[in-house]
Amino acid sequence: MKTLNIVGKSLRRADALEKATGTATFSTDLNLPGMLYAKTLRSPHAHARIIEIDTTEAEKLLGVKAVATWKNTPRLLFNTSATMTFTLPNQEPVLDQYIFDNVVRYVGDEVAAVAAISERVAEAALKLIKVEYELLPAVFDPLEAMEESAPDIHPCHAGKNIPGEIIKIPMGDVEKGFAESDIIYENRFTLPIQKHVQLETQAAVAQVSPDGNITVWSTTQTPHPSRIILAAAFGVSQSKVRVLNPPYIGGGFGVRIGLSAKAEPIAVTLAKLTGKPVKVVYSREEDFIASDTRHAGYVWVKLGAKRDGTFQAIELKGVLNGGAYCSFSCETPGVMGAMGLSVYRIPNVSYYGHSVYTNITPAGAMRGFGNPQGMFAIEQAVDEIAAQLGLDPLELRKQNIIRVGDPWILPYSCRSTGLEECISKAAEELNWQRRGTMNEPGSKILRGIGIGVGTHVSNSWPFCVDYDNAYITVLQDGSIMVATGVPEMGTGTITTLPQLAAETIGIPLDQVGITFGDTLTTPFDIGSHASRTLYAAGTAVVAAANDVRRQILEYAGDLLKTAPEHLEFANGLIKKQGLRDSECVGSGVCQLNEVQNFITMKDLAYHAHLRNKQFIGIGRTTPPNAPPWHAHVTEVEVDTETGMVTVIKVAAAHDVGKAINPLIVEGQIEGGVLMGVGYSISEEIKRDAKGKPLHTSIHKYLLPTAADAPEIKAIIVETNDPTGPFGAKGVGECGMVPTPAAIANAVYDATGIRFTELPLTPERVLKKLQEKNKNII
Amino acid sequence: MSNFIVDNNGIKRYLVTINVNGIEYTKVVKANTLLVNFLREELDLTGTKKGCELGDCGSCTVLLDGKPVNSCLILAIEADGMKVTTIEGVASTSNLDNIQEKFLEYGAIQCGYCSAGMILSAKALLTENPKPTEEEVRAGISGNLCRCTGYINIIKAIMAASGQEVLN
Repeated sequence: MKTLNIVGKSLRRADALEKATGTATFSTDLNLPGMLYAKTLRSPHAHARIIEIDTTEAEKLLGVKAVATWKNTPRLLFNTSATMTFTLPNQEPVLDQYIFDNVVRYVGDEVAAVAAISERVAEAALKLIKVEYELLPAVFDPLEAMEESAPDIHPCHAGKNIPGEIIKIPMGDVEKGFAESDIIYENRFTLPIQKHVQLETQAAVAQVSPDGNITVWSTTQTPHPSRIILAAAFGVSQSKVRVLNPPYIGGGFGVRIGLSAKAEPIAVTLAKLTGKPVKVVYSREEDFIASDTRHAGYVWVKLGAKRDGTFQAIELKGVLNGGAYCSFSCETPGVMGAMGLSVYRIPNVSYYGHSVYTNITPAGAMRGFGNPQGMFAIEQAVDEIAAQLGLDPLELRKQNIIRVGDPWILPYSCRSTGLEECISKAAEELNWQRRGTMNEPGSKILRGIGIGVGTHVSNSWPFCVDYDNAYITVLQDGSIMVATGVPEMGTGTITTLPQLAAETIGIPLDQVGITFGDTLTTPFDIGSHASRTLYAAGTAVVAAANDVRRQILEYAGDLLKTAPEHLEFANGLIKKQGLRDSECVGSGVCQLNEVQNFITMKDLAYHAHLRNKQFIGIGRTTPPNAPPWHAHVTEVEVDTETGMVTVIKVAAAHDVGKAINPLIVEGQIEGGVLMGVGYSISEEIKRDAKGKPLHTSIHKYLLPTAADAPEIKAIIVETNDPTGPFGAKGVGECGMVPTPAAIANAVYDATGIRFTELPLTPERVLKKLQEKNKNII
Repeated sequence: MSNFIVDNNGIKRYLVTINVNGIEYTKVVKANTLLVNFLREELDLTGTKKGCELGDCGSCTVLLDGKPVNSCLILAIEADGMKVTTIEGVASTSNLDNIQEKFLEYGAIQCGYCSAGMILSAKALLTENPKPTEEEVRAGISGNLCRCTGYINIIKAIMAASGQEVLN
């Protein structure tokens, strides 16, 4: 195999210096001449019709430039999520949102927005808008929302308040499989609402030129799909809309796949009304109450096995709380089922799942996308089967996991799996043998170890439209520019994609520039989601780089009078095979017509330039998808006096195919793990009886701080998937996926109690501990 | 209390002089102008970020006479006559601060939105306590939230900046 010079090295991030010195620009930092500031009036009611809305007093306030309501904005339906841009023809995208509507469907829904000379004036104007509401019945639980008596939140064809379609995934015969099982475990699991709490809130700045061209700087993870959505929402051609990141995004985690909630359309609306640039920055409270969350809901699992531990059948069912608008509610239950049923080799499987509209904040994409919810149930069922059969949960997993070439429900093959190695390495890191023996008699602190495993996707093909384009242009000094439509939201895109390009072509990394996250300067790309950026956009970059390399070698072949296949090209030097670098002294370009043995990339590019030629490579790819695999082994302590669960250490072993930049990969794993720890033990948004959210600030919501974070050991396993760039697969979401199950299984090991509801708050845990003690006494 | 003038609408405006990154700025501000907005809007020092404006996230951390504060909880008039260090003032013109160097080296930066506040809290910690334990580092940055890194590489970077061995 070819020696790698750049790929596989923990090179310094390209954006780190700007970010460490405060010079990196984010949407919230933008300031344009004449810019106005917008604030949004939000519904205090969970479900109501707007009978009357009077904005005259607000418009009179000094400094107010425009007020937008449902009456003066386009009535074109859209979906803030990118689902409306990538739903395949076997399903219809659900379009259920206007910029403003005359019905509000959750506490926080948009009623009106004001543009003014400052945020403070805009806020003052909101208080002067008079709204008369007719209250409508509201429903907050997805099971209740499916009952006949529940209010209709949107028209639906699949069932009462069910957006899109019900997802059914069958393989084999589950009834037969259960009949042939010696042991069956079944239970219902309950999942909470989690919030991304990306550090930069939703934000956009819009500018509309006198001839109607729209430019939007925003926090979107998907500039190109966002352009499609905005063009549809405003009824203009896509060529009139430019969406770009400025260029950095303060985290994403799925919250802005598509629009940044409604930051972009509100900014554009007010920019059109005023003729001035308008800036919208969500307050943290707005970000909590009016920006997509993770799907809460219920998951039922039924798992059957033979006495020897062989899994026979699994039935999984999910009913997710979609909230007031569809967003990604059609896809999320699909991913839950597709991923949940693809971890183990089980001949008979069945999934049935969907979301349900309710009158709460819309649920959309969040790291893991339904998969952590499903695995929370499945991985606990696996541990229950192990306990009942007296088997080691680790060995039971190894016995049943999917192997390369196994039949499964996914529409692509499993071409690589390092799951067994992941399980072994994570277990070794935490000394798995201690499991079940860690409690000391009389101790008020109980200790345990648990495991959770899983898989995920590396892009979203063939579930959704999913393709990438990249251009590489060779500049006249031999340096190159990569153009790709994906953003840099913290995941390392602008470091790792250039690593791929430099390695593929054979030039030093410092010769690579990149333009990204801008619809004007980059070709269409579906964007950053589905753990896909490195895998999928990377495949396009490698294709473009190979195209450039081929062109350069052909040109050099003519120049050096050697067939291209007999040339070597590395570190910016093209030379005849076998020639040592030390023999390549000078530029290689001779004024006389002597045949040369080598030429530098720099001289070759200029040589071509003088002959009216530039090398331009194009990559257009749809990689077929590949499964990343992961196993987490977790150690916990449970305080029997307070109910507090403390996660001590997480060993997170991930088969990422190939780590293009190991330091960045570890960072992705560690961040995903901690987000999963928060989801498992503290993070939750609850509501009061009228649907008003109670957790509306970081202070109330309790996400982990540095003082709470456990030790996290990221372990990289490499299996070189044949479809990924240099063998790489996805990783971005994976740290999240098995974390809740691994923690719950560890808590079971510590306490003997099976918790079926997240998060494992002290209150919830103490209650169960007390119940258990009562039963013993 | 600072000198003030009353504008045509009867609103008091205060004259403040604040030393930011070694430069004295004299500006007229309203009584309710937050220090973070003074820095970002009056001085265009946008390296100081706003993540919540409630003192919860630490993104707006600056040093006020050397002590770390949430600049969203401090009024500009409270900083009158004081010295403020923002992220723009941490590095000298030619060299990064050692903490910044270690943040780069250890992969402690992902989206970068928390980085300014994180680096300033680390700066304050190491000035006060040059050889902190890992637990002290965790406590020292516990007011600065990061959603990307799991804090692991940030803690390693700060330990490394203090010249201590970093366990892998």
